Amino acid sequence: MKPGKVIGTVTLGHRDPSFRGGRWVMISPMGGDELTGKNTSGVSPQFSLVAYDDLGAGVGDEVLYVEGAEAMQPFDRPIPLDAITVALIDTYKYEPPTQ
Amino acid sequence: MILARVDGNVVTSMGHNSLIGQTIVLCTPVDEAGANAGSPFAAVDPLGAGMHARVYVTTDGSWTQDTVHDDHSPIRNQVMGFVD
Repeated sequence: MKPGKVIGTVTLGHRDPSFRGGRWVMISPMGGDELTGKNTSGVSPQFSLVAYDDLGAGVGDEVLYVEGAEAMQPFDRPIPLDAITVALIDTYKYEPPTQ
Repeated sequence: MILARVDGNVVTSMGHNSLIGQTIVLCTPVDEAGANAGSPFAAVDPLGAGMHARVYVTTDGSWTQDTVHDDHSPIRNQVMGFVD
């Protein structure tokens, strides 16, 4: 599970039939600089990704998302998916020791 | 397994059901010298690690599914133990 900020939504026109009813959000992964507030631009230098979302994450929300085969676990049908949001972050604390 | 340092926690009230009642900590991967070695990630922590505790974390989803007793849980990372 990784922290990320939702920076947009994605609408699929032509898609795999198993994706029916899916909602997609564009996530910018949050690294150390984003979590500590050093980078307040809202977008991190890491690659953004599109993740399946059924929690109702809006643009600007901070979420926890999962990548990999575990993203398919909540579904009882085969679905070619490798990223899904698993939680909407209410608050977080991140204070690495100053090195 | 990832060697990491616990640097914070996450509070969430809206997520997958298997997260209910789970403590979620924010960890930073570290190398053996303790220097940061990657981007922070979140992990389920049944052991109650304190701030800046050095832990090792598994990224095996099926193990975490056993912990949360939900074989449809998409959670991945879980704190497995402390490093002395």
